[in-house]
This record gives sequence, structure tokens and C-alpha cells, in this order.
Amino acid sequence: MKFLCMTCDEALRHRETRGPEDGVMTVIFSCPACGWDMAMFTNPWETQLVRSLDVKIGGRAVPAEPLEMLRSALAQGKEALSPPVPSAAAASAEAPKCPFADVVASAYNEAQTQAEQATSNDVRWTREAEERIEQRIPSFIRPMARMGIEKYARERGYREITPTVLDEAKNIFMG
Amino acid sequence: MKTYADIVGDGGSNVLAQVQQQAVRLQERLRSVRHIVAVVSGKGGVGKSTVTVNLATAYAMRGQRVGVLDVDLNGPSVAKMLGVRGYTPQLTSAGVIPATGPLAMRVMSMDLFLPDDATPVTWKAPTQQEAFVWRGTMEMTSLRELLTDTIWGELDCLFLDLPPGADRLPNVAGLLPFMAGVLLVTIPSQVSQLIVQKSLTLAREVLPKRLIGLVDNMQGYVCPHCQTLGELFPESSSASLAVALQMPYLLGIPFDPRLACAADQGRPFVLDHAETLAGQAFRELAATVARFLALRDSTGDIP
Repeated sequence: MKFLCMTCDEALRHRETRGPEDGVMTVIFSCPACGWDMAMFTNPWETQLVRSLDVKIGGRAVPAEPLEMLRSALAQGKEALSPPVPSAAAASAEAPKCPFADVVASAYNEAQTQAEQATSNDVRWTREAEERIEQRIPSFIRPMARMGIEKYARERGYREITPTVLDEAKNIFMG
Repeated sequence: MKTYADIVGDGGSNVLAQVQQQAVRLQERLRSVRHIVAVVSGKGGVGKSTVTVNLATAYAMRGQRVGVLDVDLNGPSVAKMLGVRGYTPQLTSAGVIPATGPLAMRVMSMDLFLPDDATPVTWKAPTQQEAFVWRGTMEMTSLRELLTDTIWGELDCLFLDLPPGADRLPNVAGLLPFMAGVLLVTIPSQVSQLIVQKSLTLAREVLPKRLIGLVDNMQGYVCPHCQTLGELFPESSSASLAVALQMPYLLGIPFDPRLACAADQGRPFVLDHAETLAGQAFRELAATVARFLALRDSTGDIP
């Protein structure tokens, strides 16, 4: 997959990856000429499909471990087979920044991603706000909504996302 | 405006090179395996696994070094039939050490990775809904890993026990275009023969010149008391089908109730019953496969 800024006729470059949350990953690309940003969202099936191919988006920095995909992806396997397969990021400090391969590997090995840690340290969600977004926003657009709300909160210096902040953001977003 | 081809690279992933590297690793691992033979039907319940296990054993009885890979990830039975279900594959940095079956056969099966009898193969995913979108790809990737990461060692022949489904052979052929031979298994019934024809068409298409021939399993029933052969199916043989489809008809294997007992006990039937009608058929089949592979080696007809 390749992305083009039609204004500048320049190939977009990967800038940042967030998630996955509920299987959805957010991959942000920028135009090197004009700085225009674009976010790509993968739905849970697309995320899983990339994983099932056993290719590392962003490039593989270290050789594959024996049965790496099988052992990490098998839902129920023998315990003796379950030594964790190191993610590309953990295996090499020099691993290239990958749009979502590391994130996928980490997510399915139930490790919290750096992106998630950054987000959770940055702006906190109250339980009420979490429940509301869970109840009212479909899972496949929830990551996008969360990203937008967190951005809204950061821009206004909020450290906490409450139902009140959600109402504010909703008024802004929905006009 | 730039087109897809104008943009160099794919953002740094180099996915094409990664896929090529996977193929290279597979070839490197299988360099020590002289031949690979797939046992195929397309139709379920015709006894592919029974034929595979006993053919492999009969081949090993000829003094050959043999491996067996259970390609049926979702319904694996080879480990049970070869008596190695209790083995847990040992992981090393060089790969995975397979189970060792009778006659030092090297055995690999998804069954060896599952924790208990009732656990099916399921994959971690954010949702199991619509899993058909990716499950097939996940299975093929797992199969590639089993082939690539198993320490097969030096083998004269690796036998693959394919699951039902006419599409299975083309999928495996995509991974193993250098496969040496394909054995088609049917039973003397028109229902089975109907499906096997589809598998034949695909086998000829994806692996030309690799068809060893047609085996008729359960061709008659051996009376355990008098050892006489009685009919089991309305059709007495699939030989006429083979002639009509212009493929070699190899032989028929009679059903012997002790085949089922042997499978349940995890000991290949042919080991203990080599002189029975069914045992002789498996040994003859092994000899036929050996002749086919020797001929390929001598003519250099390897794609």
C-alpha cells in the first residue's frame, strides 16, 4: 500500500502508529512537502490479516523465531510451548519504527503498547467517560473517536476526560 | 500525478522481500529432504491418514528415512496413529525437534501443540466474528512454519497427509512447487470418485507430471476369520475411473478391521501385519512410490 499527497504529488511517509484498540490500529502518514497529515484505520479483520501473513510492516529487523507466528497466535496451546516470542521492538533496539507490525505483535501478546502507555499517561479517562464511549460509539470507530477526543482534551489542557468533556467535544465535532 | 509504480518502495516494509525470504528459508530447511509426496483425495473419510501412515511405515520398512507431516491442522490424526501424541515439540534456536515415531520416522502435527483432546485449533484475534476472512491465511502461514521450522534432518521422503478439500493441494503446491509426487486416494464409490476427479484436475494443473497414481482404499472387506475378500461398496474397483481419466491405477487396499484397531493403538498396521492382504498392499504401494521417485531422479525430471 502506498499513499500520495495529490496536492504536492509526493509519497506520504509514516509518522506515527496508535493502538490497536479493539483490533483497530491508527497509522498516521505525513506529506514531506506540505506537512499534511493523513490517518489510516485498519479494521479488526485487516489487522488480523496482516498478522496472519507473518510479514512485518516496517520491515523485519531480526530473523523469525521457530514457529513464531504459530506459537504467539495459537489461542490454546501446550504450556511448554509458550515462552514469549520477543517482538521486533523488544528483540532489537535498532528495529525500525514500524507502522503496525510491532503494535500487532505486542497487542496479541497482551503487552501494553508504547502508544497506549503514552496515551494513558497523557490524558486520563474517567470510568463514566469510558462507559459512555463504550455504550454509545460502535467499536470500529471507537479508536478514531478516542483519538479525536484526546486531541481535543490536550489542546485545551485537560488532564482528564469526563462526561462533561465528552459533551463539549461532541458539540464541537457535531456542530 | 504519480502512479503506484512511480513511488519507490513500500514505506520501508519491503513485504515482497520478506515473502521471498520465507520461501528461501523453506527451501533451505527442505534441502535435506530428498522427496516430498502428498497423499490427497479431496473427499473426506476415504482413509487418507490411514494410507499415509501405513505407506510411510512401509516405506521406512524398506530402509528409507521417512518423515510425516500432518497437513490437516484442524482435524489432525497422524500423531495418534503413529503413537506420538504425548510428545511436546522441543524448541531450539535451530528449529523444532519433531516427534520420533516407529522406525525413527519424524512426525510433526498440530496435534502436538494442543493441550488436550477437546481443544480445537483457534487463533487469538480481536474478534472471532468473520474469522473466515483471515483463518485460511493463518493456517497456510502455520503450515509454512511447520515445514520451515521443523528439524527434519536427512530424509529420503517426507509424506504429507492432506485434509479433505480439492483446494488443499493447490495451496500446498504454492508452498512446495518442488514436490516430487502426488498420490490420489479414493474408495470404490461414485460419490468419492466424483470429488477425486476434481482433485485430479487440480493436481495436473498445479503439479504437472507429479501424479503417481490412484489408490483404491477400502476395496473390499477382509474376513478376519477366513481371510477371504468380500465386497464393501457397490463399485468393485476404481480402476475403470483411472483408465477413463488417463491416470495410473496403482492398486486396491482391502479394509481389515485390524487397521482401525492399530490406528487407535498408535501403531501402524503394516508393522505387525505385513503379510496380510492389506499389509501386502501397503508394501506394494511403497514399492510403487519408490519406483516413481527413482525414475524421477534418473530422468532428472524435476521442475
